[in-house]
Amino acid sequence: MTGIAVLGSGGIARAHVAALGRVPGVRVTHVLGSDPGRAAAVAALASGATATADLDAVLADPDTHGVYVCGRTADHPARTLAAIAAGKHVIVEKPPARDLADFDAMAAAARSAGVRLMVGQTVRFQPAVATLEAACRSGRVGDPRLLHLNWYVGHVWPGAWRSWQLDPRQSGGHLVHNGMHPLDLAIWLLGGRPERVFTRGWCTHAPEMPTPDSFHLTVRFAGGALAMIEVSYGLRDPGDVLRRMVLCGTDGTLAHHTADDTAPSDGGPPAPLASTGDAVQRQAEHAAAVVAGRAEPLVELRHSRWALAAAIAAQRSLETGRPVDVAAGGGDLDG
Amino acid sequence: MAEPLRTVLVGAVRHATGYAELLAAHPGYVLAGVAESDDADAHARSDARAVAAAQGVPLWRPEDVSPDRADVAVICSEPTRHAVLAERMLGLGLHVLVDKPLATDVAAACRVVEAARAAGRHCAVVTRALAPPIRRLRDWVDSGRLGLPRSVDAEFLSSGTHFAASVERPELLTDPRLSGGGEVMNVLGYPVDDIRAATGCEPVEVFAEAGTLFWDEHRSHGVEDVAVVSALFTHGLTASIVVGRVPAAPGPGPGTYTLRLIGSHGHVEVDVAEPAVRLYSGDGAERLPIDRSPVAAVLDDLHAAIRTGRRPAYDCADAAVAVATIDAVYRSLASGAPEPVDAGSATEPEADVSPRSSEERAP
Repeated sequence: MTGIAVLGSGGIARAHVAALGRVPGVRVTHVLGSDPGRAAAVAALASGATATADLDAVLADPDTHGVYVCGRTADHPARTLAAIAAGKHVIVEKPPARDLADFDAMAAAARSAGVRLMVGQTVRFQPAVATLEAACRSGRVGDPRLLHLNWYVGHVWPGAWRSWQLDPRQSGGHLVHNGMHPLDLAIWLLGGRPERVFTRGWCTHAPEMPTPDSFHLTVRFAGGALAMIEVSYGLRDPGDVLRRMVLCGTDGTLAHHTADDTAPSDGGPPAPLASTGDAVQRQAEHAAAVVAGRAEPLVELRHSRWALAAAIAAQRSLETGRPVDVAAGGGDLDG
Repeated sequence: MAEPLRTVLVGAVRHATGYAELLAAHPGYVLAGVAESDDADAHARSDARAVAAAQGVPLWRPEDVSPDRADVAVICSEPTRHAVLAERMLGLGLHVLVDKPLATDVAAACRVVEAARAAGRHCAVVTRALAPPIRRLRDWVDSGRLGLPRSVDAEFLSSGTHFAASVERPELLTDPRLSGGGEVMNVLGYPVDDIRAATGCEPVEVFAEAGTLFWDEHRSHGVEDVAVVSALFTHGLTASIVVGRVPAAPGPGPGTYTLRLIGSHGHVEVDVAEPAVRLYSGDGAERLPIDRSPVAAVLDDLHAAIRTGRRPAYDCADAAVAVATIDAVYRSLASGAPEPVDAGSATEPEADVSPRSSEERAP
C-alpha cells in the first residue's frame, strides 16, 4: 500500500484527496489543515485518512511515502523541503514557488535526497491534451513550431475579494498562479525553453482587480518557435469553458476545440467535458506510480523551471508593459 | 436602370483572374480593359496580356486609361505598386478599388488618401470587413448582446499545401521588392480591419514576434512566414492576433480565419468560412460557403457609393489604418519593443463625392 499525505484542505486539496482515495493500492494517510473542521471534511473523502494540523507528525509517519503539497503558493517551498528532508517523494501543486531560487533549492534538495519531485500540472493529464501531445511526439506533424492557445473560463476564485489568489504578493500574480498552466503546456508541446515573453492583461468585470482576470502573452522559444497564449477568466457564465489549441508543425497541424465536446442543452449548468475530464484522477494514478517507484514523473523538473521562469517574466512584463527575457540558470535543469 | 460601371484592371497579377470573374458576375460592373505599363516587369506584362486575352478585352497602357474608357480602376498589381497606380488612376478621375494592402508604407498610404480627397473620387480597398460574417459580428456587438468588447483574438492561417495553387508566383508574397514584406504585410490588415469594424476601436500600440518557421521561399527573401501580435486598441480593448502561412491550416480549404470576442456580457466565436455546406468526396472535405464572397461585398459597397455619393463603408482612409498597424508591427519586430500605431491624418474621411451617373461620362 502506497501512503500519500495531502498538505492542504482547500478546493484543490479536496479534489486530490478524493482522486487519490479512488486509486487502487493507495491510502491517503493524512490531510493537513489549520481549520480542523474543514480538514476533517476533506479527510472524510478518502477511507482511512486522518485530519491533522501537525506537519511534523505527518512527515514522521513511516507509512507516508509521498506528499501532495497543496495550499498557498507561499507555503510550497518550505513544506516541500520539509517533506524531502523526511525522505518523502513530493508532488507539489503549481506554481511550485514564487521565485526561482526557492524552486532551485527544492529541486536540489530532491536530487541530493534521492526522492522524486514533480510539479502537479494537471492539464497534461487531460485526455485531449494527452492525445494531442502524443500525436505530436510521435511525429505526426513534424517539428512543432507554432502554438496558438485560447483558454476561456467563467470563474471567480472562491472567497471573491478575500481570495489570496487575487493578491499578487501571495500568489505571485495571475501570470504565475495560472500562467503556469498554458506555459507548461506550450513547453511540453513545443519542447523548448521560452526566451522572451510579452504580456497584456485586462480586467473584464472589475477595473480595480489587483490581478487581471484575463491576459494574453507572446512567447518566443529557443530555436525560434512561437506561441500566442490567451487566457480569460471573464466568461459570463460560471463553469463555462472555451479552449482551443492549434499546434502547427513542419508537416501538419494538430487542433482541438472544446466546442467539439458533446453536451446536453437542458438549461442546467455546463456538463463536464470529456476532453478535459478526469484529469485529476489520471494525475492521481500517475502520482501514485511515481511515489511507488513504478513511473518517472511525466512533468520534468527542467520543464517546470522553464515554466516558472517564463511565468515570472510574464508577470514582470504585465507590470512593466515591456517584453521580458526569461531568466536562464538552474544548472542542469536549464539544458 | 443605370449602365454598369466600366472597369479596368490595372495590373493583373495574383487575384486578377478572380477579380475579373467577380466583375463579370456582378450586374453593376463590366470589364472594359486591362492596363499594364510597358516598363512593368516581364511577368506582370505577361500576366496582363493573358488576362486581357482570356476576358476578351483590350490591353491598354496606363496612360491610355481615361474617364472616356472607364469609370473604375481595380488595382491588381504587385503590392509595392498599389499606391502609385491608385494615385495615378485617381488623378485621371476614376474611382478606384485597390487590392490589399493599400500600400506598403504609411507615407504612400497617406498619399493615396490625399489623392482621393483631391480628386473627389472614391478609393475602396479589398477587405473582409464588409463580408457577412463580420457584419453579423458587428451587429451582435452593436446590439449590446455581448456588452462592451474587452478582447478579440484572431487567427488567419494560410495553408502551404495550397501555396503553389493559390499564388502562381510565390515571390509576389515573399520578395520585398514586390510584396513589401512577408505574411504580416500580406494578411495582417484583415484582422485589423475586422477588429475595427466589429468594435469601433482603433489600434493604438502593438508588440510582435515573428519568424520564418516553415518555408524556404520566405527564408530566402528574409521575410517572416508567421507572426504573433499583441495589440492595444482604444478603450482598453486588447487583441491577440496570429497570422501566417503554415503547412496545414486547421480546416479544409486554402486557409482558415477565426475570431473570438469577449465582451463584458458575453462572448462569441466566428469562423468566417461558416456557415457553410460541407462537401465530402474522395478528395476530402470542402466547405461551400453560403455567404457572398468578401470581394463581392466590397464591389457591392463601392457600386452603391459611386451611385449615391456616400462614402464607402470601407475606404482608403480605413486601409491606411491597417497599413499603419502593419508598419508598427515591423517597427516592433525591429526594436523588440511595443510601438505606437501612427496613421497620421490618413483616417480623415474623403471629401464629399458626388454621385456619378452614366450621363456624366465624357462623350
